[in-house]
Amino acid sequence: MTREEVLCDLRKKFKDDIVEIIEKHSKRIYIEIKPESLVKMASYIFKDLKARFNTASGVDVRYHVEILYHFLIEDINLLVSLRVKLQKPKLEIASLSPIFKGANWIEREIHEILGINFKDHPDLRRLLLADDWPDGVYPLRRDYKEWDKNAIRDRGV
Amino acid sequence: MSIKLKALLKSPWVFHLSTGSCNNCDIEILDCLTPRFDIERFGMLLAGSIKHADVLLITGSGNRKSMERAKRLYEQMPKPCLVVAVGECSLSRGMFIHSYNCPIPIDKVIPVDVYIPGCPPKPEAIIAGVVKLIEKVKKGTVGK
Repeated sequence: MTREEVLCDLRKKFKDDIVEIIEKHSKRIYIEIKPESLVKMASYIFKDLKARFNTASGVDVRYHVEILYHFLIEDINLLVSLRVKLQKPKLEIASLSPIFKGANWIEREIHEILGINFKDHPDLRRLLLADDWPDGVYPLRRDYKEWDKNAIRDRGV
Repeated sequence: MSIKLKALLKSPWVFHLSTGSCNNCDIEILDCLTPRFDIERFGMLLAGSIKHADVLLITGSGNRKSMERAKRLYEQMPKPCLVVAVGECSLSRGMFIHSYNCPIPIDKVIPVDVYIPGCPPKPEAIIAGVVKLIEKVKKGTVGK
């Protein structure tokens, strides 16, 4: 299956789910999709197109929070990134870890750092942050404020 | 100078601890052990356990989780001991000074005897820092 066939296939199958397709360059495409059709589309790309799940990344862009799920179709060397925009303040999306286990830890990390609730995640515990980190404080949000009274933020010179 | 410190200076065994560095300082420290720089001629060896070490060598900016462990390691070290901070991150946290995860510099948690600046410091700088440390110990200003 070539790149054009993959794109054509996705356009045909998920006509109502895709918001926009950005063809960045010959090895990379971004597909913006509706949040509710994420599971359907990710499982199609993973199971039927035989893509490898690289990772997911999240970013807070002030008015909404984006999550990008990066898949690599190795046969044709194509990196497909599914982009989901979640409107604040309701940051909730279906979890992908029931489909593939590789999504488990990265979803836990996005949960603790950006405060996105992954529904149906088997084990949404804290992954990397310190144990004394307060609940409900998300460090990579735009509105993050320093909470630690003991922190020293000068160089002492 | 006490007999303990005198014995320590003959062959200081080093425990290398990275508290969340980018590994560049760690690579330079490993460079010191290669035949080109060969700090083993001064008797310095990397110790596998903190309980065998005389010098605690810290790299990295010291994040919330690893400083707990660093404190515990310092408590386990046989005293008298020396602490060396290598790299800009362990001195003042460098570019991570405003990071949510690095609230307190290392020298506010553990008493540091010698600071080796640089990002990363060259192996020559690390050797020069260690030589200065040895001189300081001989003068009796550190390592009580």
